[in-house]
Amino acid sequence: MTDTLTADVADTRMVRSATVESAREASSIEMQRLHKRFGRDTVALDGVDLTIRAGEFFTLLGPSGCGKTTLLRILAGLEEADDGRLAIGGRDVTEVPPHRRSVNTVFQSYALFPHLSVRENLAFGLKMRGMPPEEREARVAKIAEFIQLGDLVDRRVDQLSGGQRQRIALARALVNEPDVLLLDEPLSALDAGLRSQLQVELLRVQKRLGMTFVFVTHDQQEAMVMSDRIAVLNGGVIQQVGPPREVYEHPVNAFVARFMGHDNLYPVTARSGSRLSTPLGELTAEQPGKGGLLLIRPETLDLLPGEVAGDNHLPATVAERLYRGSHAEYRLEVGETTLQATVNNRGRQLPERGDRVTVTVAPGDLVTLSE
Amino acid sequence: MRKRTLRRGLTAFWWFTLAFLYLPLAVVVLFSFNASNSAASFTGISLRWYYRLLGNEEILSAFANSMVLAIVSSVIALVIGCLIGYGMYRHRHRKLGWLIVLIYLPIVLPDIVFGISEMAFFVQVHRLTGLLQPGLPTMIIAHVTFQIPFVALIIYSRFVGLDPTLFEAAKDLYATPAKRVVHFMLPTIKPALISAFFLSFTLSIDDFVISFFTAGPESATLPIYIWGAIKKGVSPEINAIATLMIGAVAIAAIISLVFSRRRPA
Amino acid sequence: MSYAGVIPSARSRGMVRESRHLLFTVAPGATWILVFLVLPSAYLMGVAFMTNGPYGLPEMPLSLESFKRLAGFGFLGWSPGNLYTLLRSLWQTLVSTGLVVLVAYPIAYYITTCREKWRPILLLLVVVPSWTNQVIRTFGWMNLLAPGTPLSELAEALGLISANMGLYPSNFAVTLGLVYNFLPFMVLPLYAAFEKLDTAQVEAAQDLYASPVRAFWHAVFPQTLPGLLAGIVLVAIPAFGMYVIPELLGGGKGMMLGNLVANQFAGGSNWPLGAAGAILMLLATFVGLFVMRRIGKRLGGGEEVVI
Repeated sequence: MTDTLTADVADTRMVRSATVESAREASSIEMQRLHKRFGRDTVALDGVDLTIRAGEFFTLLGPSGCGKTTLLRILAGLEEADDGRLAIGGRDVTEVPPHRRSVNTVFQSYALFPHLSVRENLAFGLKMRGMPPEEREARVAKIAEFIQLGDLVDRRVDQLSGGQRQRIALARALVNEPDVLLLDEPLSALDAGLRSQLQVELLRVQKRLGMTFVFVTHDQQEAMVMSDRIAVLNGGVIQQVGPPREVYEHPVNAFVARFMGHDNLYPVTARSGSRLSTPLGELTAEQPGKGGLLLIRPETLDLLPGEVAGDNHLPATVAERLYRGSHAEYRLEVGETTLQATVNNRGRQLPERGDRVTVTVAPGDLVTLSE
Repeated sequence: MRKRTLRRGLTAFWWFTLAFLYLPLAVVVLFSFNASNSAASFTGISLRWYYRLLGNEEILSAFANSMVLAIVSSVIALVIGCLIGYGMYRHRHRKLGWLIVLIYLPIVLPDIVFGISEMAFFVQVHRLTGLLQPGLPTMIIAHVTFQIPFVALIIYSRFVGLDPTLFEAAKDLYATPAKRVVHFMLPTIKPALISAFFLSFTLSIDDFVISFFTAGPESATLPIYIWGAIKKGVSPEINAIATLMIGAVAIAAIISLVFSRRRPA
Repeated sequence: MSYAGVIPSARSRGMVRESRHLLFTVAPGATWILVFLVLPSAYLMGVAFMTNGPYGLPEMPLSLESFKRLAGFGFLGWSPGNLYTLLRSLWQTLVSTGLVVLVAYPIAYYITTCREKWRPILLLLVVVPSWTNQVIRTFGWMNLLAPGTPLSELAEALGLISANMGLYPSNFAVTLGLVYNFLPFMVLPLYAAFEKLDTAQVEAAQDLYASPVRAFWHAVFPQTLPGLLAGIVLVAIPAFGMYVIPELLGGGKGMMLGNLVANQFAGGSNWPLGAAGAILMLLATFVGLFVMRRIGKRLGGGEEVVI
């Protein structure tokens, strides 16, 4: 499935011009002060300002209840913001109902119509917009070829597997050539293998079409794999917006850091210049910043056998080792404090549980952030 | 050993009960083919009672009344019940206790109270305004009243069984409110619509008490005609017309069952 | 969060739209039931407190006359006729409901012990007779129980009835008709209860209690109780108000409350008296529903009785 997608650039253009008749330019999205409450007390969005660039694969990331799905639904028009403005492709659509927005959604449950065949499902949007049947057929055939649906189009919806439904749902949205495609955790119902396969496929589809994708997920790994940029949400507020590396390596606060999977967070108890006092000991950071929390990413750590003295050298004991083949994950005890480390398996000796080691970290890899 | 005895006893009891359930119907069907007009002894097969039905204008008009009543009331109940069923679904998160009570009222009210209330009401309204003279229209009104709850509940449960995001998918795929009804909602609930129609139809054909009290002199239905014939003194023709009704209702009921079973789980 | 105090216009607009939608979908049906059922019932209740006019129609002034009549006080002093009718209704309801339970319980259990693909068909077999018209079904029993039929002759030979009397009209025929009529209404909820039966609990009970009777009583019966209660509601309430069966199978001495009420509107023409009877029936209905719900909530392990 994936290798047939590896097409050269010329082919890509052809597909795009064939699929996107009007060769519409991808659209940007502009959100200003979006507010949304449910009932009296539940604040879903609390003043969201966000700009999504044209042609971008943009991910809304956060735990459940953070407002990411509400935001997506507002983009789709399925929910109306209580306050604020929303523009897509420069046009204000704040009060435009969903059926008049050139935006389509791939739903988490796929929401394929059970009373229709796959083909009728694919043609539904075009039919609703009043496209003549012959043209509809042609468009459906093209998208079926593009998403490689093969003979799936002739099946009934209840005969499809989860992965097949997912691809039909994607095709059903794409066939309308929307300005923006919205994806609401579209892969969450699939098992891990299929999931990573479809991640790659989705990404390639987006790059080939150059369409603006807004993707919602609670899985930070998925977000990092897919996105051009990520917005991390919590409590209806955007915490940080940036490319995956920036969000992962320079989280702006403890919430973002924890959500991106970081455990090694330590309060800075005192500082003088680039010297930071932490529960682990004294450490030197190249650009310490002003934050009160020190973040140490496990993969920046190195382990030396025995006790070695030096700057940013910490004596530690291996409390636990998880051998993962390509790398090993360590839980180390530095005095009273624990520290997670990931060490690549380059054929060197991997320290074992109970070993005395020295942990080293480069000053350039240390960042601080606010709490 | 003991288990097997129990099981045998149960099986015997099952067949006995089944005989009990079908015996009265079987007797009616059997005697409808009786050559003599005795209600006690079967003397030979004949279709004479069926031929006599065809010449009996009272029965034919009662049949016509029954059909008109059943079809018209089912159609009206389908439209009104469908709207309520959808309204109950769409607003299921609101407090709709009063509506539930209202909908269950026609179901729990004893037939006889239902019938005489309507009769007393129609008679009074007619006396005061000249409207609602007892006859087919008043019967239709009464039948629609007891059919609405069944339609509403069938439609409601069909909607509850759907993935709620389907409604959003239809919106998202450019369907205007009117197109959502035509291209999404109605096709999706079609099996429920059909089974609701057949249930309404069956309920109407099946009803005697409420029809009896709301009918006028010209609007006797088949059950009312049969009732009158029984009261006047049993005639073997009743067996024939009853046999036809048993057959018709059984067919309608089986069709309804087939459609309700075809619903996706 | 200075925002919290603001009432945004989009919100209120959406709420107005939803309310209008609710009105549009629900109003026709709700109005229909209000006008053609609630209003007539209210009128009927009013009638019960009016005076009987010369043509059987209700007139002013208001009085409790019809309730006195219902209790048996007439122009010629007290007579027990109406009271007998009431007691007979109650008695018939109790006996027929009890018999229906006794028949339906093993039948529902039997169906659950059969193969899964057969169960809907067996259930259908039980239900199909009830889809035919009540008058026809009762007529079938008239044919079966009339004088000279095999059943009547058998009863005669056994000395249960006197010669050439037939098994109908009689109170026995009414009971039989009621049991016949309501059996499916008990089998369906009981079957549903049996099907949900937690077999692990039953097996545990078989381990704990040596005797199968005790195992049944402690593990099976409580689990089927909600279904049983639902069935009792579905049987007893309409049985109490039954009209057709006692009218056809009961004769003069088999009359029930339903006939008493109906006769006041059809032949006897005393609307207020009939309305008073109807009020009694309504009271019985709602008390019955209420009691069953309470019992259901208490005993059903949080599971509510259907309806």
